[in-house]
Amino acid sequence: MNILYELFGDIFYQFIDPKKRIFIFYLLASFLIAFFWLFFNKKLGVKKSLGKIFNPKIFFSKSSKGDYKIFIVNQVIMLLISPALITQLTIATLFFYHFHSISWLNAGMFAGTTAIIVTVIFTSFHFILDDLSKYVVHRFMHKWHILWALHKVHHSATTLTPMTVFRTHPLEGVLFSLRSAFTQAITISSFVFLFGSSVDLVTVLGANIFVFLFNIFGSNLRHSHIGIRYWKWLEYILISPAQHQVHHSISKDHHDKNFGSAFAIWDWIFGSHHHSEDTDKLILGIEKNPNETTHTLISLYFNPFVEIYKIISKKTIKLKNYFQKKNILRRV
Amino acid sequence: MKKILILIVALFVTISFTQSSFAGDHDVYGPWPVTVKGYSGDKTDSTSYSGQIARHALHDSLKSLSSKGDLVEMMAYFDGSDKNKAIIAPASKDDFLFKQTLMNDLSKGKNLSGKTYKGIINGWPGGMTGPEVLEFMIKKAADSPKGYDVATGYNYPQLISKFAMGAIFYNQAVDNYLDEKLAADNKPNGKPYKDGAAYTGKEHVWDEAFGYWGAAAHALTLSAEDNYNVAKKKDFYAADYNKDGVVDLKKEYTFAHAYYASSFDKGGKTNYLETITHAFLDGRKLISNANGENLTDDQRTKLFAYADVIATNWEKVIAEAVFKYAGEVYEDMIKLETDPSDKNVATYAKHWGEAKGFALALQCGKNNLGETSVKLNRMMGHGPVLMNSSQVVGVDSMGNYVKDQSLEWDDYKLHMLKIQKLMIDRFDIQARSHDQLADMTDLAAKLGSSDSAEND
Repeated sequence: MNILYELFGDIFYQFIDPKKRIFIFYLLASFLIAFFWLFFNKKLGVKKSLGKIFNPKIFFSKSSKGDYKIFIVNQVIMLLISPALITQLTIATLFFYHFHSISWLNAGMFAGTTAIIVTVIFTSFHFILDDLSKYVVHRFMHKWHILWALHKVHHSATTLTPMTVFRTHPLEGVLFSLRSAFTQAITISSFVFLFGSSVDLVTVLGANIFVFLFNIFGSNLRHSHIGIRYWKWLEYILISPAQHQVHHSISKDHHDKNFGSAFAIWDWIFGSHHHSEDTDKLILGIEKNPNETTHTLISLYFNPFVEIYKIISKKTIKLKNYFQKKNILRRV
Repeated sequence: MKKILILIVALFVTISFTQSSFAGDHDVYGPWPVTVKGYSGDKTDSTSYSGQIARHALHDSLKSLSSKGDLVEMMAYFDGSDKNKAIIAPASKDDFLFKQTLMNDLSKGKNLSGKTYKGIINGWPGGMTGPEVLEFMIKKAADSPKGYDVATGYNYPQLISKFAMGAIFYNQAVDNYLDEKLAADNKPNGKPYKDGAAYTGKEHVWDEAFGYWGAAAHALTLSAEDNYNVAKKKDFYAADYNKDGVVDLKKEYTFAHAYYASSFDKGGKTNYLETITHAFLDGRKLISNANGENLTDDQRTKLFAYADVIATNWEKVIAEAVFKYAGEVYEDMIKLETDPSDKNVATYAKHWGEAKGFALALQCGKNNLGETSVKLNRMMGHGPVLMNSSQVVGVDSMGNYVKDQSLEWDDYKLHMLKIQKLMIDRFDIQARSHDQLADMTDLAAKLGSSDSAEND
């Protein structure tokens, strides 16, 4: 019974915690941005704009229903897994200890720095490092076969809604949690070690100010059918919702493009940048004709395991063949 | 009508008096009724722990003397004296007046050396027993100006006081009175403690343990802050429970570890003073209620449960102190890196002395701490790492310190952090004063949980 309470609490919390993506006011902000975009930019009128935003074909598609289910099931799984995951504080403590053994570093060596400066640098540094690490991990999720088998779950969505962020395989969730723990640990430990107790976080409603800004300016529209595009120059710096929708496109030209989360700079630097296109013309997903089972919970949760098993088996056979050939050559 | 009114008022007065006396019974340690069978004396209160209070006064006085260089005088308080010595500390200050000024006002013929833990003290060089370590420290203190030896970094008033509190009060209470003396055949409740005494065996055993704890009898009627201010001689009103204009050291003052408990509790994260004092009260009530009969197995099981609460929390109080001073040592070391003034070095030595004293004290409980002791002693070392990269590593046959190349300064700093972690891991302490990782904990909380199954 307790676990049920905790589960309902966790689900409810997602909507009322300003640190979470689907905090009710972020959803509301995204709605307003979408509405103004359609009304003023696309000149759709009130009724048509609202009709487009709340299109039941999107929100009640098989794909979206799969998102909702996986959201609930993942909450249960993460509730059970998270106590076993290493915390950011444990990693931070190890880093903090390690810094003591580096001879050219001294604890509190910049402790005299003005607190407000330290706080601004800390807040920005964490947001940038967090975003960069998201880019790197995301890139690996696409490039490595085993990781792609997991990440495919997310890309199998054929319609996008804000809830698609939760369409994530739990093993991928573990990787994301570790990524987040490591980036937090690096930032916290290094700043506290160098600057002492003057380190603080600039927050709005308890969330990192940059996280707040990212969310209030429509982060939820990244996973949606509203293809908001930025000016070209801005799309080199920040990723527009339409750019992320391109990332979900089935077209070959769009493969392995726009891995970034908030900043487009990483894609630009590492050669995976792609400007936005008309979202309405994109086909989303990973295969042209998704079959009946694409969005069922069983295939979403278990297909990755089958695929990983196949990949490993293939590699093992290749390895065996390689060694056998070598032996034969030696004998000859 | 008038009669009825008088009757109602009388009834209210009676009820309110009854209630207040219940409250008194509940919250104050003593007076307890005399339950000894066949007692023929005229005493009506069986409470008795004046010997323990005398030892608190001996300890406080010894601490005060250990910065004055008079070996004979120090030994008089450590070994006891035939003379009726003055209570040097605690002494009256301004309007904070004490009832007693001489040792014999508390109890005659008491000493500290006879009650010091007799086992080997592994954390101190020389392989000495508890009393030997204290005597050794006292002699070294007499040779050091103001009890502070610059060459080794030893601050003897701190070392002596913090170690003595553990080796005497803590050890006597948890390893003797609340341990083997609670056995059925040891000081039974069915007999007076000694012939003609107004208290039974178990009543006195329990009282003596309470005396060593050091809380004022009315500690539970006060907040942690009040108890702390009583020890600091800052709140006479809170101390003078019976309102006779003086503070009775036997009942109304906060000593030793009870004081440290109050210092941690006033931060609001812990409740050591109340928890321990409450367990003492509950245990004493149980013994009094046995009415001079031998305790049943069931009663003794309950008593052991109270004793366990006391011992566990008392150990935590000392572990909190180790944690706090290890944190202060770490902070002092950072300060010294940019300002190695004599004053800062002295502060470092003072805090190190407190950390070391409490660390030695922690190992005087009833349980062998095993690996925790080994780690704690190894990380803290025999002496503080000094600015010239030297450290005491032992004592030669003549009782002189042997110094050698020390650990790296940065490694030693790290040891202080690891000692803090060790105290958390082993004793689950919560007050965590001067927590060097607190800033990281706060920031981690602000950034929020790192668990997320979300695809940006």
